[in-house]
Amino acid sequence: MDNIELLSDYADFLREKKKEGKRIVAFISHDNIPEELLDAAGFIPLRLIFAGNDDLMDASHDYLPPSTCAFAQSCIGLFSIKPDQYRFLDLIDFFIVSNHCVSDICASEIISRYFNVQRIDFYISYTQNENSLKYFRLEITNLIKQLEEIQGNSINREVLLHSIKKYNNFKKILKKINELQIKGSIKLKLLQKAMLFGPELMSELEENYANLNIVVNGSLENSKDILLTGCSIFFNDYLIDLIEESGGNVTFFDSWIGFNYYSQVIDDDLINSSEDPIDLLTIRFKNNIYGDHTVPNFLENRITLIKNYYNEHQAKIGKPIGVINHIIKFCDHMSIMSTHLKNRLQLEGIQVLNLERDYSRANRGQLATRIDAFLEMM
Amino acid sequence: MSLVADELIRFSSVLRIAYNFLTGRDYLKKKKFREKKKLISVALPFSDLVYAFPDLIPVFPIRMHEFKIHKYLTYLGSASNIFGWNRVSNFLGFVKDLGIKDISQTVDNIIEDVIETINEKYNEMFDLGIESGLSSDFCYGIKSLYGMHVSKGKNCDANLNYTIRCSAWNKYLESIDAIGNPSKQIWIDIPPRNIGNALELFVDNISKALNELGKISNYDYNSNELRNHFRTANHIRQVYKKIIYEISTANFYPCNPATFSEILALLNISFHDYNSNANRFEKNISSLLMEMNGRIRNKIGMDVLKMPKILITPMFGGWEPKTHDIIYELGGRVLYGDWDLLLFLEDIPISNRTDPIEAYAQYLMNINSNGIGCDNNILTDSYLRLAKNLKVDGLVFVQVFGCHSISNCYTILKEKIRRELEIPSIALNFNKMGENIEQIKTRLGAFMEMFN
Repeated sequence: MDNIELLSDYADFLREKKKEGKRIVAFISHDNIPEELLDAAGFIPLRLIFAGNDDLMDASHDYLPPSTCAFAQSCIGLFSIKPDQYRFLDLIDFFIVSNHCVSDICASEIISRYFNVQRIDFYISYTQNENSLKYFRLEITNLIKQLEEIQGNSINREVLLHSIKKYNNFKKILKKINELQIKGSIKLKLLQKAMLFGPELMSELEENYANLNIVVNGSLENSKDILLTGCSIFFNDYLIDLIEESGGNVTFFDSWIGFNYYSQVIDDDLINSSEDPIDLLTIRFKNNIYGDHTVPNFLENRITLIKNYYNEHQAKIGKPIGVINHIIKFCDHMSIMSTHLKNRLQLEGIQVLNLERDYSRANRGQLATRIDAFLEMM
Repeated sequence: MSLVADELIRFSSVLRIAYNFLTGRDYLKKKKFREKKKLISVALPFSDLVYAFPDLIPVFPIRMHEFKIHKYLTYLGSASNIFGWNRVSNFLGFVKDLGIKDISQTVDNIIEDVIETINEKYNEMFDLGIESGLSSDFCYGIKSLYGMHVSKGKNCDANLNYTIRCSAWNKYLESIDAIGNPSKQIWIDIPPRNIGNALELFVDNISKALNELGKISNYDYNSNELRNHFRTANHIRQVYKKIIYEISTANFYPCNPATFSEILALLNISFHDYNSNANRFEKNISSLLMEMNGRIRNKIGMDVLKMPKILITPMFGGWEPKTHDIIYELGGRVLYGDWDLLLFLEDIPISNRTDPIEAYAQYLMNINSNGIGCDNNILTDSYLRLAKNLKVDGLVFVQVFGCHSISNCYTILKEKIRRELEIPSIALNFNKMGENIEQIKTRLGAFMEMFN
């Protein structure tokens, strides 16, 4: 299934949901948005996980300066240009303005303001401690109130618990898929598709997992293993192709689309014993220590995670693994730490490529050269 | 001939503030090594809590650097210790009036040096930030601050870190630790919005930070000490506001408008940490207001009635300092009021709060909710509010390269200005001081023609 077909299917899926009377809530901020709550309240969560291009970025310059995160620029561009395959964006009823980063705030606010999508506010503390957990509860309570007002009825506790379980199981299957020894591009496509369609894709994912689990992919033996950290590879991005064309294979996606999402699993015993589903959402926020939003332990946690994966991978597969730190241009979170991340990992003998780029076509050749050189060095 | 030198020497308080800023290194060394006090790094006007402990000194890190100080300013500093600043200032004025060329030129150089040396140091820190591995895509402020920590951060015992809506700022604060300096990181999370009992949580966050500061200090936290500081800090704010609202909006200035802009810029920089001594800063800023009022009463200064008032903002994260000279040459006068715009010049409400921590939490929450705001809608309202309050004739918006938070909202702002203020506005791109001055001149030339 190619990307155009998938987007067309997704558009049909959303139209069908609209016919059922569901309303669509979109958001840029991928981390910490309680999609279970949106689901329980009867909304369809729509993650903006679409990569950009020159036209999309240019279109955003009417609203924000070009020195804005290329992904945020592209999100605005999607609403400004509305390319044919993205016409489904017209179906969006609400937009969550959140503070994953300041570009998220600005882009979300612009989309809501200039493209007439009603906004819902949801903000997260920048630290993770006892008080920020309490603050998270306040925001969740506030969000519940907003959603209930929109829908005109209250969110049932049992329904919310059911949604939490559903998403929990969904993430578990994604985790299993990620552990498969298959080509990174196949894995990424499954992850991207899953994060668009959500748990409705559960049975298809299980089927995929069963089929892919029995495939022994001999061609991977000669490829060079890569851990991709930093910014996600979004839908329609050519980066994964460049890596594979150069002889690399991403075995682990340490990004929004990937580990950061499916690692946010809540313990089943906790779910079954919980009286208050808000507690569960708060626990999920508390356990989300690898997200890039919070300070001050982001760098340390990420280094620990990468080191652990590196050691486990070497022990299990017997091959070294290189790290590509993918930095979308003007990304505050990934860029500022990139030098420190690289220096610290290199001290541990882990090879790192800081790959900064935007979505312009002109970059492709340069990116390919840098990836080639890095893989050769490995 | 400097635009400002003739005027600045008439204000001994300005010389004092400048001198205290530039000689920060010696002052801080004395405090640290002789008096065994500890330095706490702060940036943005977040220094107040440090004053709760008598042996802790807040410092905006650029002030730990050695500045190229004109030798005569050094002599003046020494002379002032004996004769007092007022006498020294009067003497300079006398020398200037005599018109002795060499000495007169020296006096000009002193003042020019003050402004230029600060800006040169900022640019030096900017370059150092990039050389140290920071991506050149970050804004001027972050790059300069990073450079300051690379070069001098090791002298601080702790960094007092407040989270705000700017993600580059928050991550920069985290990165200070990665630089490898031994200073302790003390974090204060400002809740993004004032909902539910968020204020209560914030009070607790501040209390915990005070507890951490207390571990560095040899003193226990004393609420009276903090309350006394807040009284001083409030007086500084009230005087600062009078300078912005009463003097800068008047039709007669105590000096030429370029000088006035220089003074506002100097106050803006010094307000970060009150030049490490709030009581001293309070005296100096109070004298400044008195000197200004005295000159206006005696009709010493300049009639500015016909000069359009141009608000340049935001400038605290980096701006081209030549802008106010250019606008003056084009017949306008420039006002700077960033701290008021972001509500940092509001009083810390100690009179109606028994606990100073609660008062400070309320003060910062107001800044976060209504000044900086959690989105650009609130932030642009702040720009509008200041422009309205100052009744400015035009607005120059500084669009800082790489800034994703404070200076990227011109589209929304322009729309609001057009709808609500109906005054001309222009956005100027800024990357580094001294770059593109000719382009700025051309653009401002066209902009200022609208007022003819």
